[in-house]
Amino acid sequence: MYKKENYNKGKGGEEMAREFLLKKGFELVESNYENVIGEIDLIMIDKDFLVFIEVKLKIGDRFGIPEDMIDKRKLSKVKRVAESYLVLEKKKVKKFKKYRIDAVCIVLNQDQTIQRITHYENIY
Amino acid sequence: MLIKILSMANIGLKTENVEVEVNVADKGFPGFGIVGLAGKSVEETKERVKTAIINSDIEFPTAKITVNLAPADVAKDGSAYDLPVAIGIMAAIGELNLPKDKAYFYGELSLDGSLHHTRGVFLLALLAKEEGVKNIFVPRMSANEASVIENINVYPVDNLKSLVRHFNGEKFIEPLKPVNVAEILSDITPEFDFSEVLGQQQAKRALEIAAAGGHNIFMMGPPGSGKTMLARAMAGILPNLTEKESLEVTKIYSLTGNIPPGGSLVRQRPFRGPHHTTSQIGLIGGSSNPKPGEISLAHRGVLFLDEFPEFGRNSIEALRQPLEDGYVCISRALGSVTFPAQFMLVAASNPCPCGHLGDPKKECKCSGYQILNYQKKMSGPIMDRIDLHLTVPAVDVNNLMIDKEKVSGEKSIDIKKRINEARKIQSERFKKLVHIHSNSDMKNSHLKEFAKLSDEANLLLKQAVNKFSLSARSYFRLIKVSRTIADLDKSDIIKKFHVAEALQYRVRGEN
Repeated sequence: MYKKENYNKGKGGEEMAREFLLKKGFELVESNYENVIGEIDLIMIDKDFLVFIEVKLKIGDRFGIPEDMIDKRKLSKVKRVAESYLVLEKKKVKKFKKYRIDAVCIVLNQDQTIQRITHYENIY
Repeated sequence: MLIKILSMANIGLKTENVEVEVNVADKGFPGFGIVGLAGKSVEETKERVKTAIINSDIEFPTAKITVNLAPADVAKDGSAYDLPVAIGIMAAIGELNLPKDKAYFYGELSLDGSLHHTRGVFLLALLAKEEGVKNIFVPRMSANEASVIENINVYPVDNLKSLVRHFNGEKFIEPLKPVNVAEILSDITPEFDFSEVLGQQQAKRALEIAAAGGHNIFMMGPPGSGKTMLARAMAGILPNLTEKESLEVTKIYSLTGNIPPGGSLVRQRPFRGPHHTTSQIGLIGGSSNPKPGEISLAHRGVLFLDEFPEFGRNSIEALRQPLEDGYVCISRALGSVTFPAQFMLVAASNPCPCGHLGDPKKECKCSGYQILNYQKKMSGPIMDRIDLHLTVPAVDVNNLMIDKEKVSGEKSIDIKKRINEARKIQSERFKKLVHIHSNSDMKNSHLKEFAKLSDEANLLLKQAVNKFSLSARSYFRLIKVSRTIADLDKSDIIKKFHVAEALQYRVRGEN
């Protein structure tokens, strides 16, 4: 029950991040990519970079900031999925020489309005 | 913004400047990383610093914080980098203004922002003096250690808040008043008195000689004859530490964290009595980041090894080199470290496994093989390095009965007086030599100058060497013990009867 709720919240966060980055001039490649190894929230194109994006959303600051939730372990997980993506989807990634991992951290107020949305480039 | 803070690293007793570089970057994913060959306890600094800053009502920056401990090829360990890292972060975010004068920061943080007692502050003070840095900021609990070093300002820090107020000019921290070393080194009353040990006059005399000159001594006797009691009472007749000696001992004790919170110089000669299950590393020193062992903790004091043959063979044989040289050199992957180990060895043992070999009243139950095996532990090279060999016979219990009137022996204080006088003669004699404080520290080359023998004494010595076929080392050690006996007698020249007494302790009785 609660899991479902959190899942929907996360989906909402991904949407907000996508809109935010599209406005910045990114191009969407895939949303919510999933394979046996794990999942990546967003895969987008920024100029000549193929960017893998981890999105974190928090409501209020009672449980810390979203940045704290992205630790070394999470990062290496994202990296492994990204690498598998590069192997599995050779056709799609052929034209890219450079790759990057970004993070988008979103903090919402209790009434679901956005308090801040921060984009960090190249966090690995 | 990049901030550089001065602190200290140590490998053994060698200290080195460490520059703690703290960078708080506006760009980049927020995080907190420490680089510069930092050990596990330095890794944990992150959590302590973060919590301590937050609990001091200062907002911890959400930014990319990188800390580098330079030089990056020197291994760092310990919790003392908490304070420099915290100061660096607070200065980088503009919470405090660092002064232009160079200063050392050193200390472990508590989660509430206060500072804990930290080991090694004494070494920091010595480094500051050497480097000509005037100010050091250390935890209040450890500040007394540093206050005996002249020409530096020691600021005792209670917590981060008080340090912030100090640097922002709101409320200054008063530096500690320098303390006179000689004043601290006053007399301390012994916990155990020689007058409580009944009989054993010869043993007491031998212990007095040993304490006066810092000679090694070996006691052998049946169980219950008072060997352990004699050795423990010895702590009370050890001569006072001189100023120089105290500084040497304090250095080791500060490094190992053996100085209690609020403590200052070590005032009493160390008396260490490790159990016979102590490992070789525990005794000699070692581990991958070399730490001093019992022999270094007993520097300038007594190392008492009770039940000597029960110690591991490796541990006993490892004592050879330090017994001769007065220091121990430990080489590990991290580097080679030298610790001083100028100690006086007091060893006690039974003559055989059952303990009654040579006892006139009780029969020994051991087989010849057992006895041989037991005594083999006390190898020739080790026994050769021991100056005074002593047999402590069993005491007749009839003389100890509670209802009997006791003839109480000499008090420790009186014995100590004589010993202190003998030591005074010695320190006067060796005042030009740096590392030599007592007769046993003398190198063979010093003997010609400092240990003049009368003709008669020389003749006796020659005869003894030939008769008992003593080794060259024994010969020189004999002269040193004679020198001490002559000092106790306040005689400038070593006379025949001084040598005769020394000889009597030298020659081991054959069973």
